Amino acid sequence: MILFFLTSGLFLGWSLGANDASHIFGSAVGSKMVSFRKAAIIASVFFILGAVIQGSGTSHTLDKLGSVNAIGGSFTLAFAAAITIYMMTKFALPISTTQAIVGAIIGWNFFTGNHTDSKTLERIVSAWIAGPVIGAAFAILLYITVKKFKRSTKIHLIRFESYIKTGLILVGAFGAYSLGANNIANVMGVFVPAFHLNDLNLWIITLNSSQQLFLLGGLACATGILTYSYKVMNTIGNNILELSSEAALVVVLAQALVLFIFSSTGLSNLFVKAGLPPIPMVPVSSSQVIVGCILGIGLYKGARNINFKVLGEIGLAWIISPVASGLLTFLLLFFMKNVFGLNVGRAANESAAVTDQTSSLTAIGQADASNIIKYLLFGLFIFGTIGIIFYILLENKKKREMQRSEEKFWKNMK
Amino acid sequence: MPVFTRTTKNLILKIDEFFDDIDLGLLVFKEGIKSYLDKDMEAFRRHLQKVDQLENNADRLQREIENEMIMHSILPQHRSEVSTLIDELDEIIDALKSSLNEINIEMPDIPSSLNKNFISITETSVNAAEELIPAARLYFKAPYTVRERLLKVYYFESETDKLAFSAKRIIFQEMNELDLAHKAHLRYIIHHIENISDLAQKAADLLSGMAIKIVM
Repeated sequence: MILFFLTSGLFLGWSLGANDASHIFGSAVGSKMVSFRKAAIIASVFFILGAVIQGSGTSHTLDKLGSVNAIGGSFTLAFAAAITIYMMTKFALPISTTQAIVGAIIGWNFFTGNHTDSKTLERIVSAWIAGPVIGAAFAILLYITVKKFKRSTKIHLIRFESYIKTGLILVGAFGAYSLGANNIANVMGVFVPAFHLNDLNLWIITLNSSQQLFLLGGLACATGILTYSYKVMNTIGNNILELSSEAALVVVLAQALVLFIFSSTGLSNLFVKAGLPPIPMVPVSSSQVIVGCILGIGLYKGARNINFKVLGEIGLAWIISPVASGLLTFLLLFFMKNVFGLNVGRAANESAAVTDQTSSLTAIGQADASNIIKYLLFGLFIFGTIGIIFYILLENKKKREMQRSEEKFWKNMK
Repeated sequence: MPVFTRTTKNLILKIDEFFDDIDLGLLVFKEGIKSYLDKDMEAFRRHLQKVDQLENNADRLQREIENEMIMHSILPQHRSEVSTLIDELDEIIDALKSSLNEINIEMPDIPSSLNKNFISITETSVNAAEELIPAARLYFKAPYTVRERLLKVYYFESETDKLAFSAKRIIFQEMNELDLAHKAHLRYIIHHIENISDLAQKAADLLSGMAIKIVM
């Protein structure tokens, strides 16, 4: 039952994996520089790593905005965000998971009578605006550096492209890690305050309650990447292909850096030590950042006809997504509470002694949930190992066949 | 990962070897024509054999380069253009081989008074193709300098046209002692030699477009 409440978050995770992760390897896969299989495996592994290792920073910010204190509330909130995303995508309106979830949290705050921290909200909104702008600045700087390097070294085109190809894989891995670290809060952040799972000992590391939730969210995202991102990657790849290969690398690297900056607590601490203001740990929209990066390169190249429609759509998404998601959350919470009698949360100043069905449910289910995660990981490990062995054997077979056919050709030519 | 494999290095070496073959083929072709005009048939056949060998090697390299680019997903954005360029360059060495072969089979009777004209046409036509090879090499290392190198290709091509036109005029208007079939045969041989610079120009057009695309 406890896992049922997670389904809405897992669905959000699947959607995030299918759409946002595609931005990272889209150019590499769309241009056939990296095979989809390789890209999907790298993106999945590094997304999960980013989510588990570094996902807590942005999650804390969402927690400050609104600490959802009942599983029913978390479920409804994630469900409302997922429906908003689905509906807006269907009507071709600009949407971002980040903005939808923030709107949903504010909707929950309104419904339960919790106070929305205006300072946190201010930080979040400023990061949304700063994300694409910083992305554009990074893209311009990186693009100039790469161009200068290429011109001054007179490097052979084939060697340069092979560096780009390797770079796309490495930067893609970094991008997936950063995306996992920055965006996992969108998927699982609202469940963190309501879930209290037992620590999970995995021999090498021990995962706390929120890390287990991030792991589950990461796995959902990985499923999205493996099952549905191929089509999206090809579409994005073909659009980005208008840019050169070095521009594609720059765009992905700039995006990864922006996501990393807004999710690295270590970097933020360094800023504070240097006497600078701390970096807000805020989930930013990866798709909006990537558009910022592409526009940055366009500006540097002197493009006079910047597509203001795209810029307008981003601005519209900043307003429409949270408003629509917030309204829907409010309505769904009302429905869940009054029709199903589900506890969807309470004001933070209400007595903590109030017991409810969901908190007892948590107590019963927490040990089971940890065990399920443990067995799930064990199964995945075995499945992954078999998959890797099968892949290596298949690749070797293909190579042998190709070699044999080539030898046969030259033998016949002689 | 590509950077850790030898594929890139091997492919670069193969492309360089392919260009070397074309370059050498042009040189041998020029010497072959001179040997024929000097009536040194032994040297002519030796040169023909060498061009044949170079053409075979270029064909093998062309196939290997294209295979490797596809198999290892090298230059996905420029692959088709690079393949077309290599194909165009291969057509040049094919033309060298077929021209020498036809001379070897048809044994055209070239009057010694035309020797100078034939040598000039050959040298200028081959020069056009010779100027193309460094430009093609530059495409891979300094694409922004390709277009200035190609100017010489266009210059030599137009010079070849002028020389060929002048030689044809001499054959058809001044050499009345030759019969029409003989004149037509000589025109045909000139056309073959002239064709090399035309092929070089065609490849130069392609290369010029490729250079703009990669620089932008």
